[in-house]
This record gives sequence, C-alpha cells and structure tokens, in this order.
Amino acid sequence: MGLTVDQRWGLIEKISEKTVRFGTYQHTLTDAIGDLTVRPSTGIPVAIAVLYGFWSIFGSFAGTLFTDGFLCRIFDEHWLPWMQSVFPGGLGNWFYAIMVDAGHLQNGVLTASDNSFESFGVLTSGLFVPFGVVLPAIFIFYLMLALLEDVGYMPRLAVLIDTLLHKIGLHGYAIVPTILGLGCNVPAVVSTRILETRKQRFIMMALVATFIPCGAQIGIMQDVIPESIGFVMLYLFIGYFVMGYILNKVIPGRAPEILMDVPPYRKPMLKNISRKVWIRTSGFLKVAVPFVLLGCLIINVLYLVGTIDWLGNVFAPVFEGWFGVPRETAGPLVAAFLRKDLAVAQLSAIHMTKYQMISSVVLVSIYFPCVATFAMILKESWKALLGSLVVLVIAAFGWGGLLHLIWKLMGVA
Amino acid sequence: MNERVEKLYVLYFLVLGLVTLGFGMADFIVTASGSEYTSALLMIPNDGFRGGWGGLVMIFAGIFYLSGLKGAGEIHQSGKVVMGSILIWVMAGTDIFGMIAESIPGGEEGWFNTGKVFWGTYAPPYAPAIFLLPFSLIVIFYVHRYYRKPKTLKKA
Repeated sequence: MGLTVDQRWGLIEKISEKTVRFGTYQHTLTDAIGDLTVRPSTGIPVAIAVLYGFWSIFGSFAGTLFTDGFLCRIFDEHWLPWMQSVFPGGLGNWFYAIMVDAGHLQNGVLTASDNSFESFGVLTSGLFVPFGVVLPAIFIFYLMLALLEDVGYMPRLAVLIDTLLHKIGLHGYAIVPTILGLGCNVPAVVSTRILETRKQRFIMMALVATFIPCGAQIGIMQDVIPESIGFVMLYLFIGYFVMGYILNKVIPGRAPEILMDVPPYRKPMLKNISRKVWIRTSGFLKVAVPFVLLGCLIINVLYLVGTIDWLGNVFAPVFEGWFGVPRETAGPLVAAFLRKDLAVAQLSAIHMTKYQMISSVVLVSIYFPCVATFAMILKESWKALLGSLVVLVIAAFGWGGLLHLIWKLMGVA
Repeated sequence: MNERVEKLYVLYFLVLGLVTLGFGMADFIVTASGSEYTSALLMIPNDGFRGGWGGLVMIFAGIFYLSGLKGAGEIHQSGKVVMGSILIWVMAGTDIFGMIAESIPGGEEGWFNTGKVFWGTYAPPYAPAIFLLPFSLIVIFYVHRYYRKPKTLKKA
C-alpha cells in the first residue's frame, strides 16, 4: 500500500529529526586547511608540493628500490643468461632472435646482448618490460593516486586548475583524464566521458593521445634518460597547453562552466585504496602484457623481413632533416604504435647524443597513440579518432621540429 | 591561547619559518649554481629535482609559517602554520623514503645490503628537511592542545 503525501512528509520529518542536527556551523581546522588548498595563492604551492611528493615516491619506489634494486638483476643476471643457454637455436637463428635475443654487431661480429632492454626477445624484453619496469611504476602510481582521491585532494586540484583549463576549452574535471593518462592512456580516454560537450571530449582525447606519456613510458624514461626526464615532461606539459589553446580556438562547440562539489578531507580507507589499486593495476596488466609480447613479436618479424630498414630509408630525410634524429629511430617509432614503453627501451640501444635522445623520446610520446589507446578512441568515436590523428601529425611535426630548432639555436644539434 | 603562550608560539614559528625559508633558498641557490654542498651533518645535492623543485617547496613552507603568524590563534592562520609543517613532512618523508629505498638492495655485493651498509645509509649528512622534521612536529602538540575537539555544530 502506498503512502499519502502527508504520511510521506511525516516520515521525512521523523528521519531528519533523527539524522540531521540543526545549528550554526563552526569552521574547523580541517575546513581551514581545505580552504587553503583550493585558494590559488596558497593552493598552487600545495599542489606543487603534492606533485613533488608524488614523483619523488614514484622514482624511489619504482626506480631505485624495485627496478634498479632487484628486477634488473633478476632479468639481466639470471633470466636472460638462462634463456640464452637453454633456448634452442642460438645467435643467428631467426626463431631464437624473435623469442630470446637478436644480438647486436660489435666490430662486425654478432654478439649476444647482456641486458634485457637490448635483447628484444618475446621471452626476455617482452617479459622484462611489463613485469620488471612497468608493474612497479604502475602500482605505485595508482597507489598514490588512490590515496589522493580518498583523502579528498583530487576535487580540490580540479577546482584549483579549473581557471587554467578553461583557457584550453576544458574545465577542472579534465584533470581526471589528464592524471589517469599518466598511468595509462586507455582509462584516460574512457574517463573523457565526464566532460560535457563533444568539443571538450575531442580536445581531451587529442591531448591525452598526444602529450600525456603513460606510466609505462615514464617508468622506462626513468631508467633510460633519468637526468632529462624533467625536461621531457616540461616540454610535453607546455605542448599540452599550447595545443589545447589552439584546439579551443579552432574547434567549434561549447565549453560550459561547471559546479563542483568539494567533499571535506577524510581519513583514507585501506579497503577502498586496495580495491582501486587492484582493479586498475590488474586491468592494466591484462591490456599491457599481451600487447608487449605481441609488440615484441611483430617488431622482431618486421626487423627480420627488412621492413624497419626500408621505413628508415624512406623516412630518413624527415628523421634526420626535420627532427634531427638518426634514421635508426624509425624502428622504435613503428614499435611505438604497439607499445610506447617498448619503443623508448629500443631507443636506449641506438647510439645518439643526449639531445637526439630527448628529441626521440619526445617524438615517441607525441607521434602516435599506442594501439590500445587507438582502439579505445575508435570505440568512442571514429570522427574523434580521425581528428586526433590530424592533431598528432601537426603536433609531431610542429612540436618535434621546434625541439630540433631549439637544439640548433643552442648549437648542440 | 593566553598571551604568554601566544608570544611563545609566534616566536617559535617565526624562527622555524625563517630557518625553513633560509634552507629553501640555500637549496635553490646551490642547485642553480650547479654545485653541491656537503658538510658533516648537512647535504644539499646538485639535483634539479630535489634542490630545485624541492627547494621551492621548502621556500613555500617557510612562507606558510611566516604568513600564519599575524593574528595567531585564528583558525585560518593556524591552518597556514599547519600547512607549513605538512610541506616539511612531504619533503622529509620523501627524503626518508628515498633512503629506505636505497638501503635495501645490495647492488654489486648481493641481493640485500649488509647490516653495516644498510645502517650507513641512514648516517649523516642529511638533507635540510630532515633537520627541520622534529621541529615541525611541534605543530601536532599545538593542534592537539587547541583543536582537539572541533565542535562542528553549536546548538542555535
């Protein structure tokens, strides 16, 4: 039997009497700290400190402790030599080259690789990259992110950055796909759905695919170019805003304001955090591991049949003339379509100057989304995918060429 | 907060704020000059991340302390002092975590460090934030003493 309107109101009153306390609200210290983290004059310094803590812990945990401390050793000193000794075929055999180690020429002699970054076999680099480098990086990234979400800092960061993001046609919530993209671009593309208009979603997808390096890539960069990673990130960060500003001016559509509910700061709950970290990390591994293994396989086959060399020769004038990088980077750039982390690992094996290395890593970031992100953008909208491709071609030539120009002006290219 | 306690509070956080600001600027200047400073107790590395970015955070911490002194005891001003300490905890926490991460793996010698090398990682010299950490913890006593039972609602 249904309730009458009066009965319903009576019930509401009874519930509110028991659950709601009426009176004057007194500001607490937690509220005062909450205000400080939202107001730009005090919130920006706090955001700078939070991001410092975030990346410092990320580097110490993923780089120093796990990858450099234990996992490199496990893979380089135990797994790789063991695979090299037991796998049938040996150096020079095509199947051995694909699965274990293609080797490299040293004084005209084919020599076995001594580390899992350079061996590039499906069973060596193919396992080392996702488990030895990416897993610790992704784990600590998602752990820190979940902690910030649970404490209640993320909505404050969104409010803080709202004004700035409006300049590129987005709003504060765009910080969610941006930061998620630093973990993995795939969930970042999905999370663009929190933006209201097509224009906003397109801008965000294009920026994520182009200027946001994923956690896997950052993890490898930390190992390959630790001293230049800050510069690369800054360059991409500036590109994010410059390209966003241009897209906002060029693309028709609305960029509406938002009203945001900022919750109070709360004590994080272990159950929430562990669940979030597990869902995100396991989701990432389900996507990453098959793609890395498949990526290694396809790249090795392309190398063996000479496609990579052919591409290198065809695009040599562009690579050497426009971007100022060696023609050998053609291979890693093809690999970047399958896995960007693999591509950066491949770059580490190519002989080039520090500046060429920075240019190559920047190019890998901006030239094309990895195939998983590509598929995800396609799933969202084929128009968005086509648009993103146009954006990234412009971004790759513009931003990549500009970096070469900077090196030339500095006299180092 | 009575007048005597307020004076003590202002004096304490004034000194702490100035020292924090000084350490932050030292971090910044040493890093910008491309050199490093090491003495028996104190170490400022030539590292753009820790010295540059981290130095900036220390400067902000000092400014938070100093800007929170006017009108001491007022809740928003107290919030700034607490925030100054939180920034120092971020800096010192990451420095200590960095030490822990460095102290465990054995490098060339073996899987894990020997006891001597392990404990040696925690020996001085230390980064400035680690020196400031114990002094910044006083803010916990202050919060506990004056904001222990926040009354979120008062009967109208």
